[in-house]
Amino acid sequence: MKKIKITLDINDKPFEVFAAPNNTLLEVLRDELDLTGSKESCGEGVCGSCTVQMDGRPVRSCLTLALEARGCKIKTVEGLADGDELSDLQESFIDHGAVQCGFCTPGMLMSADALLKENPEPDEKTIRKALAGNICRCTGYAKIVEAVAHAGNPREHCPDCKTKE
Amino acid sequence: MRLPRFEYLEPGSIKEACDLLSTHGDDAKILAGGTDLLVRMKKGLLKPKIIISLKALKELSYIKKEDSYIKIGAKTPIADIIASDLIQKEAKALASSCEKTGAVTIQHYRGTIGGNILQDNRCHHYNQSAFHRSGRQACHKDGGKICYARDESDRCNSTCQSDGATALMALNAAVTLVKKDKKRTIDLVNFYSNDGIMPHAMEPNELLKEIIIPLKGAKSAYHRLACRSAIDYPIVCAGVLIKPDRKNKIRDARIVVGAMGRSPLFLAKVSSSLKGKSINDTNAFKKASRASMDSAAAFAVHNIGASLEYRCQMVSTMVFRALEEAARSAIKAEQ
Repeated sequence: MKKIKITLDINDKPFEVFAAPNNTLLEVLRDELDLTGSKESCGEGVCGSCTVQMDGRPVRSCLTLALEARGCKIKTVEGLADGDELSDLQESFIDHGAVQCGFCTPGMLMSADALLKENPEPDEKTIRKALAGNICRCTGYAKIVEAVAHAGNPREHCPDCKTKE
Repeated sequence: MRLPRFEYLEPGSIKEACDLLSTHGDDAKILAGGTDLLVRMKKGLLKPKIIISLKALKELSYIKKEDSYIKIGAKTPIADIIASDLIQKEAKALASSCEKTGAVTIQHYRGTIGGNILQDNRCHHYNQSAFHRSGRQACHKDGGKICYARDESDRCNSTCQSDGATALMALNAAVTLVKKDKKRTIDLVNFYSNDGIMPHAMEPNELLKEIIIPLKGAKSAYHRLACRSAIDYPIVCAGVLIKPDRKNKIRDARIVVGAMGRSPLFLAKVSSSLKGKSINDTNAFKKASRASMDSAAAFAVHNIGASLEYRCQMVSTMVFRALEEAARSAIKAEQ
């Protein structure tokens, strides 16, 4: 099968890769470009650990062909931090203990990041709905929801921070 | 999981796509969002030689009102349907069904309405990995002669679990199919074939172009039950449509039950039993929902999610809730 040379715009940088038609975006990210932040878990669009953003919208990279991602702005979890400086959302995940084994975290971050861009101060219901497609088997959802609420609005929606004050 | 090998084609126009389909027909599959197709390919349920991508066909993505019809392009993302005021106002059942389809990140931007109504039937004996299926004889849907869901059945009993199909059938929608030099429009009731192996009457060289919903001044609603509120397919769902007259009597009603049979079940007899009843008549709704349960139970087999008894009982609850919601919005509109 012939590989095709494609250019992907990932985290604001152009990458030229050779991809076969049956390569998913996730395979290209992990195997060709060594961007191993996005994880493969179920491989069938259920768990959400492979979530990346295409044109600012969260999508499953395990169910997106690499060829279909041409011409889109792709953002992976590696694009969240600015060099060594973590984003507010990432800091908030750490501060709230929202990371246990960490396998679901890249997907959670990408879904949450897309939500916060659209709605900077989401309430708990909105956060839970936006993260409904991301599964955490350590079952730490409460901490994850708090972390996202805190990143959106540190004072109003974060029960942990309220009690500290 | 790796995808099997295939050739990838990207037509630039509908005509070009139809030409490719007429050349390759059975060997080719259409790729829109890929949330259903690629999963089936990964599990080895499908091995198309050619994938025809609709990526470049932006003209297949639209929602518009023409005369007394809503027309939706087949490639319209589910997110756009939820965001559309027109659909929320005039075709509430479709909006609700889209809101409940998949999970936000799967459904919203990749999943399309055309893909949703054309999704293949499912059965927990068939939708398994190639390894799982290799351990036993092939079932009807896999090319064999056995049904694991119903003993000694001579046909496939897989279940249509599409949210969109149930809602659209309740709305009395039709679909426009195009192929090289030809175009046909067919009602969804006739489009679904009640055949588990090939659940709809679409030919291999046809392309779904458009979904047409007639506007009748009626109110619709959709309710569904799934194991988890997100991600999962429905185990029972119901779409209803109620059209009241000026005296608040029901002039026309449609009750469709999904995820119970090989295709969504339009219950014509139960629907017509509601005609002439008052829109506030809760007892009539209760009676109709029990009758729906009796009618739908005959079609269902134990092959998805929950137990058969539970699913059958929940048909009446889903139909009743949907009827109540539709009636409530009709009364609200009256005021």
